[in-house]
Amino acid sequence: MSQLQETQQTWRSGLRLPAIILMAGLVLFAPAFVGSYSLHAVVIAMIFLLPALGLNLLVGYTGLLSLAQGAFFGVGAYASALLSIHFNTPFYVNVVSAGLISGALALPLGIPALRLRATSFVMCTLGFIVIGQAISKNWISLTRGDMGLSSVPKPYFALGPWSFSVVSTAAYYYLALAVAGLAILAFYLIVRSPAGRNMIAIRENETLAEAVGIPTWTYKLIVFVLSAIFAGVGGSLYVHYLTVVSPLTFQMYYTTTILIIVLGGGVGTISGVVFGSILFVALSEFLRVAPEIRMIAYGICLLLIVFKFPKGFAPVIDKVWSALGGQRA
Amino acid sequence: MTMPAILKIEQISKSYGAVKAVSDVSLELQRGEILGLIGPNGSGKSTFFDCVTGLGTPDHGRVQLDGTDITGWPLNRIAREGRMLRSFQKTVVFSALDVEENLVIAGQMFAFDSTRATFGIGTETAAIVEELRIRARELIKLTGLWDVRHMPAGKLSGGQQKLIQFASMLMPKPKVILLDEPMAGINPKLIEQVVEAIRYANTQLGISFLIIEHNIDVVTSLCQRVIVLDQGQMLAQGTPQEIVINPLVREAYLGG
Amino acid sequence: MLNLLGEQLLNGIVTGSVYAIVAVGMTMTFGVLRVINFAHGEYFMVGTFASWFVIEKFDLGYPQSVVFAVALTALLAIVVGYFLMRKMVGAPFENGVLATLGVSLILQNLAVALFGGSYKFFNGGYIEPVELFGYGLAQQRILIVIVCVLVFIGLDLMVTYSRMGKSMRAVSQNIECCEIVGIDVQSVVLWTFVIGASLAGLSGVLTAPVNVSVYGGMGELITFKTLPIIIMGGLGNVRGTLIAAMILGIAESFVAGFIGLQFRDSVGFVTLILMLMWRPHGLFSLQSRF
Repeated sequence: MSQLQETQQTWRSGLRLPAIILMAGLVLFAPAFVGSYSLHAVVIAMIFLLPALGLNLLVGYTGLLSLAQGAFFGVGAYASALLSIHFNTPFYVNVVSAGLISGALALPLGIPALRLRATSFVMCTLGFIVIGQAISKNWISLTRGDMGLSSVPKPYFALGPWSFSVVSTAAYYYLALAVAGLAILAFYLIVRSPAGRNMIAIRENETLAEAVGIPTWTYKLIVFVLSAIFAGVGGSLYVHYLTVVSPLTFQMYYTTTILIIVLGGGVGTISGVVFGSILFVALSEFLRVAPEIRMIAYGICLLLIVFKFPKGFAPVIDKVWSALGGQRA
Repeated sequence: MTMPAILKIEQISKSYGAVKAVSDVSLELQRGEILGLIGPNGSGKSTFFDCVTGLGTPDHGRVQLDGTDITGWPLNRIAREGRMLRSFQKTVVFSALDVEENLVIAGQMFAFDSTRATFGIGTETAAIVEELRIRARELIKLTGLWDVRHMPAGKLSGGQQKLIQFASMLMPKPKVILLDEPMAGINPKLIEQVVEAIRYANTQLGISFLIIEHNIDVVTSLCQRVIVLDQGQMLAQGTPQEIVINPLVREAYLGG
Repeated sequence: MLNLLGEQLLNGIVTGSVYAIVAVGMTMTFGVLRVINFAHGEYFMVGTFASWFVIEKFDLGYPQSVVFAVALTALLAIVVGYFLMRKMVGAPFENGVLATLGVSLILQNLAVALFGGSYKFFNGGYIEPVELFGYGLAQQRILIVIVCVLVFIGLDLMVTYSRMGKSMRAVSQNIECCEIVGIDVQSVVLWTFVIGASLAGLSGVLTAPVNVSVYGGMGELITFKTLPIIIMGGLGNVRGTLIAAMILGIAESFVAGFIGLQFRDSVGFVTLILMLMWRPHGLFSLQSRF
């Protein structure tokens, strides 16, 4: 490496830390200088980040394309709403239960579904959404059918005699930030563990993975359940923010949004999913794009991903990042 | 006193519809032995391998590995619990990952005592992975892949990928390795390197080998004993020298 | 009771005919391309919308609207087929799933964006009832069954005797060989897809007078119902698809009549999942395609 390059490298690495600090500052103090509507857009993006992280574990790490993520998101939303309506449980109970219920449901669904390969698996996961839709519409005594559940309580925390509710958008921003932060941390720990390496092995070559002793089926099932837990937590966060949930949650709209975040952001990375949720959710929410126009844009993006950018749109930020002297993630 | 065979295969049969791919093949692999398995194309060698290693299930027959009946175990369990590893005819590596990472993955399921344990991230886990990495580097040196250890495995030549695959199989300190045409499609210079690696693993690490191979020179130089399959049945067995002059074998190869 | 049974059976056959005309296109496309077309139902929707549009805005008669609708669907299919479907020969399965999902999103939401999301009333067709085996049945329903029979006879003849049909069979059996023999695989894929999509459009415009309501999301439901049919029929199997469509149509009709209308649309997906689990090669387990 020449002297000049070396100087440039150090100079650029010098920019990396300030960039991180600046970003962290922006994130932490956003409510102070950002309008409440923009804040709302960011909250929605952070909520969608959760099921997207789950899907990234499936598609990006283990190589399983699933459309069921919207279904588990909906299950989490309903579970959380029903708990807080009927038992008036605090938020942390709701969010944990929503994750666990989604995960528990994913287990019996995953066992037969994961025996299928390729397109059959995709069709089967699509079936889970449709079944979710049918149940939420027809189990009227529980879900109130097409009317859905409304006035779901805003999240509240209770510790002994001390309790408070999260009502304002700014407060919800911090709540969502905390949950999303924890989810990113959990995701990071999973993919950096030896198990994460085994998942990549399954994605790269399933037969070889078997041949070096990896019980591929067990891992796929674990990942399917984990992805459902992520989605369930996201659903819980979603329902307490909007305070309503209806069978519309099981429409293709949600699954497609989650799919486009992961594929468009760039599969197999954390930064890609964060970038994807900002680009596809926060931005379109912020610009108040009508849902049908948004869906058309997603459709065009899917075609672009298939035919032009198989790695998603994240390599763009990756380039900026390495220009600042960082290592490729 | 004779030690019992490490791998004992009794009367394996496998049919696809009306076609009998393998019928009643039995063999014993002794401890420390390198046994060759040869036969014309379509003689059922690969099907036999698949049945023994759990990639396919045999219609009949039993497989015993070091005294344990492993018939019907899936591939991953035979590898993990039985420590019997296999290679594939078509070379396979984890293409997007570098050589070192390929080897670390190959060792993981043997270094951690359960699937659950692989989800750990603590210092204990880190220490185990570090040990795997050290072992991987040793094997990389041994197989002469040091200079390309940080290259994505998919970018390397066919011969180098064979070596990666072979090194991967040594990661878990196996008892038995089954090689499916280790020399197919690699350049003659590398053949000697692979032969040396096999011989080293056999003599220094005490691993027994069952090898399918077409290259008769390799078979003669490596194997103590050779078994010939033809049309799914065992045709002959003996030392390489006996096999080469056996008229039945010559007929199977030339007349088939 | 017997009366109700017969009526449900007739209804089921009519519904089955609609499904059969749609599903056969999807199964043929899969046969040559190995792609499940998640946008297939959208061509059904496009057919319906096109017909509704010319009847409402230009006061065209129903027969003319049928011609227009099928022509428009075919044109759309040529564009999509030329730029997208044709290029998926030999691509990994994910590409097929994602690209067709993308097309589905675009078409479905384009319809909503252009014509609004509300339900529209379809005014056309032959809805006067006639007496058949003692049951009152709209003429349109009889027309649907007749068209279905004609379509399948036509397809059977085409696949067996025409050059195009023979190429389709060849491609569905072995793509590599076709390329060596000199069959233009991409053009076979393109035209198979166009025929399939046009049939979906035809089915849409034929059903519109019976369904009455027209809306952007209608194609999605059709796609969802086509999936179990093509799996039951055995992917790529034309005759199997006809039988499977009848089975689903009749089963739905019985469920709607004897258990409850709200459960009708679940029949398809329960069937799909059961089929995938136990008989992924279809009910008839025929390895031959077409």
